[in-house]
Amino acid sequence: MDDCGSPVLRRLLEALPDAVEETHARLGDATARVGRSRIVEVLQLLRDDPELEFEMLTDLTAVDYLGEEPRFEVVYHLYSVAKNHRVRIKARVAEDAPEIESAVALWPSANWMEREVWDLYGIHFRNHPDLRRILLYEQFDGHPLRKDYPKEKRQPLVGPRN
Amino acid sequence: MATDPHLFTDRQPETSEDDSERDLHTAHQVLNMGPSHPATHGTVKFLIELDGETIVGLDIQVGYLHRGFEKECESGTWYQAIPYTDRLNYNSAILANIGYCMAVEKLLQIETPVRCQWLRTLAGELSRIADHLTRCGAACLELAAMTPFLYGIEARELTWDLLESLCGARVTSNYVRIGGVKHDMPPDVPGVARESVAKIRGLLRDFDDVITSNRIFVDRLKGTGVISREDCLRYAVTGPILRSTGEPLDVRKTEPYLVYDEIDFDVPIGEVGDNYDRYLVCVEEMHQSLRIVEQCLAHLEKLGPGPVNVLDPRVRWPAKGRVFNRMEELIQQFKSVTEGPRVPAGEGYFAIESANGELGFYLVSDGSAVPYKVRCRPPSFINVAPIPGMLKGSLLADLIPTFDFVNMIGGECDR
Amino acid sequence: MPGKVVKVRRHEKLGWLERLYVPMIVKGLVVTSRHFFRNLRGFVSGKNRTDFVVQYPEERVDYPDAFRGMPVLVQLDNGQPRCVACGLCEFACPTDCISIVPGEIEGARIERYPEVFDIDMSRCMFCGLCEEACPEEAIVMSREVEIATYDRPSMIYEKQQLLVPESLLKRRLDFLRAEYDRQHAAAGGRS
Repeated sequence: MDDCGSPVLRRLLEALPDAVEETHARLGDATARVGRSRIVEVLQLLRDDPELEFEMLTDLTAVDYLGEEPRFEVVYHLYSVAKNHRVRIKARVAEDAPEIESAVALWPSANWMEREVWDLYGIHFRNHPDLRRILLYEQFDGHPLRKDYPKEKRQPLVGPRN
Repeated sequence: MATDPHLFTDRQPETSEDDSERDLHTAHQVLNMGPSHPATHGTVKFLIELDGETIVGLDIQVGYLHRGFEKECESGTWYQAIPYTDRLNYNSAILANIGYCMAVEKLLQIETPVRCQWLRTLAGELSRIADHLTRCGAACLELAAMTPFLYGIEARELTWDLLESLCGARVTSNYVRIGGVKHDMPPDVPGVARESVAKIRGLLRDFDDVITSNRIFVDRLKGTGVISREDCLRYAVTGPILRSTGEPLDVRKTEPYLVYDEIDFDVPIGEVGDNYDRYLVCVEEMHQSLRIVEQCLAHLEKLGPGPVNVLDPRVRWPAKGRVFNRMEELIQQFKSVTEGPRVPAGEGYFAIESANGELGFYLVSDGSAVPYKVRCRPPSFINVAPIPGMLKGSLLADLIPTFDFVNMIGGECDR
Repeated sequence: MPGKVVKVRRHEKLGWLERLYVPMIVKGLVVTSRHFFRNLRGFVSGKNRTDFVVQYPEERVDYPDAFRGMPVLVQLDNGQPRCVACGLCEFACPTDCISIVPGEIEGARIERYPEVFDIDMSRCMFCGLCEEACPEEAIVMSREVEIATYDRPSMIYEKQQLLVPESLLKRRLDFLRAEYDRQHAAAGGRS
């Protein structure tokens, strides 16, 4: 696998060559796709390695590639304050078992962002301390950012007066 | 509404020697604050578990303003998402405009003209001032100091008037375009802007005189809502909250975008990471932004007239004067409007420094004229998450200034 | 890169004067009375007004040239809209609030015209993309914003309500044309 000239990817490939499935550095964003089962291992390395030192999980989101297999992709954006570099880590999650290990133990910032991904995409994060809906309400049916959720779909109103 | 069972411990009255604990019913009380509380400028609900007046548990429920921003963006063209970004943060719409458009420009791999970049910087800094003024002013108001709020709002009025004469609207400016800006600066703006900057400086001085060393205000802020630098990083908190802990992280300095590498400005930092530091950092940032605005005005005058849009017909709509008179541009206009730019397939993340912290846009394109995925990394949402930790063990009254200086903007938090 | 990191000045220990409350009260009174008398003088004399409050229905602020109010249709001298019902504004509108039914007049110089042109003002967000899209300068943002009503059906503006004579839109049209000229000149005559 190619490190695309990025020191972060080179270090990652050195340490965990079998976890990385694909790399690219298009538009200057170093990106690595890793196996779903290895995600925590990879993130742990990125956080703790003295050459990498990613103290911040800046962003966590998911993308729904409807029609592809595996369908979902969970995307992590990491930033290192000490080294001033960024990396994007992705992991594919299948539709029939939309599950991935939670990163809350590594960065507490993952807590709310994983709740959001669960809320909007229905991807389950294993070992998350408190996986509830966050932007929508408990009675909401479905996960609206999935591509097969129609934009115009209406949900029943809930509340004390209904 | 029922409280969440696993968040709050059902504390059984402890048995002590004389059973006084049991007789006095010392169970924790759960207080429901919000969703529309006058002392929180934002629609958010707090479920506060109280022991007397001390906070022992806090659950923040956001999402009351969720309107499907990301879903909505996936249904229109790349252009049609720009007015929606206005509605993320009502104080600094331009910064969200800039973030989104620059992320699309990153995918398109285009560079905007110099004049456009200075105009964007000017407008962005004006909205940053407006945002900080609202934060500091509203915090004073919610701590029962009405006068500084009025001065702050008066200064914000000046920045919004300025933005109105620059962009055409006070709040929902819709000024930045993919590959340029909507229109060049109207000729009367620099004069008005210089006057306004002087007036804002005067109002900030009054603001400072009235409140900064006022003992009541200082006592309410000092030592409340403390967060350490390490916690900030673990929670991915950015912006004035992180800088108040002494970490000089500012995307404008670490990864300069637009023309920030040519501009002279300082990054204020605090040392303790409490609300008072956050207040001082915000006030100092306003002064720095005013400096940037002056430099932008001077530079724009030096630059003279020039293009403010890229001349690439695949990206920017053709110049209007030609559309009226020539067939080719007319056809191009039809093609541009009905389709908009086709963004090459790929993904990109672009972050700018908004008033609350790092505002990032992660875009995925499948090569068509419609965004495949628009993800906004909202600083408000991420900065709210550590509040329960910041407040554990402090008094209920400390929640108000802490929440104010975190400055959650509902529209951006809930999208 | 110019610029540095500065540490904010924290009043770690308040002086005894500050701890006494009284000087701060006096200082506050000085500042507020200065504002009060300055505003009062301006308000009474009517010159150099410094107060920001506008006595709204009696007094109005003047909007700047770039101001975007509700979108309207430009009416030509013959009473007809300039619009040729091409539908570009319909495409450009992010909220789909414009609906057009085109009509045709046989043999006229401009054959196409909008039979129906409705804008649902309750959905319109005054973004101005329709104006930018229009290839005929037929739909422009006016200076009108006072469009509140009591019910939703009356928020749907029909063609006759939207038509505004060109002479009344002069300020907006001048602003737009000046901008076209500037961009044209800046591009060195190229589009």
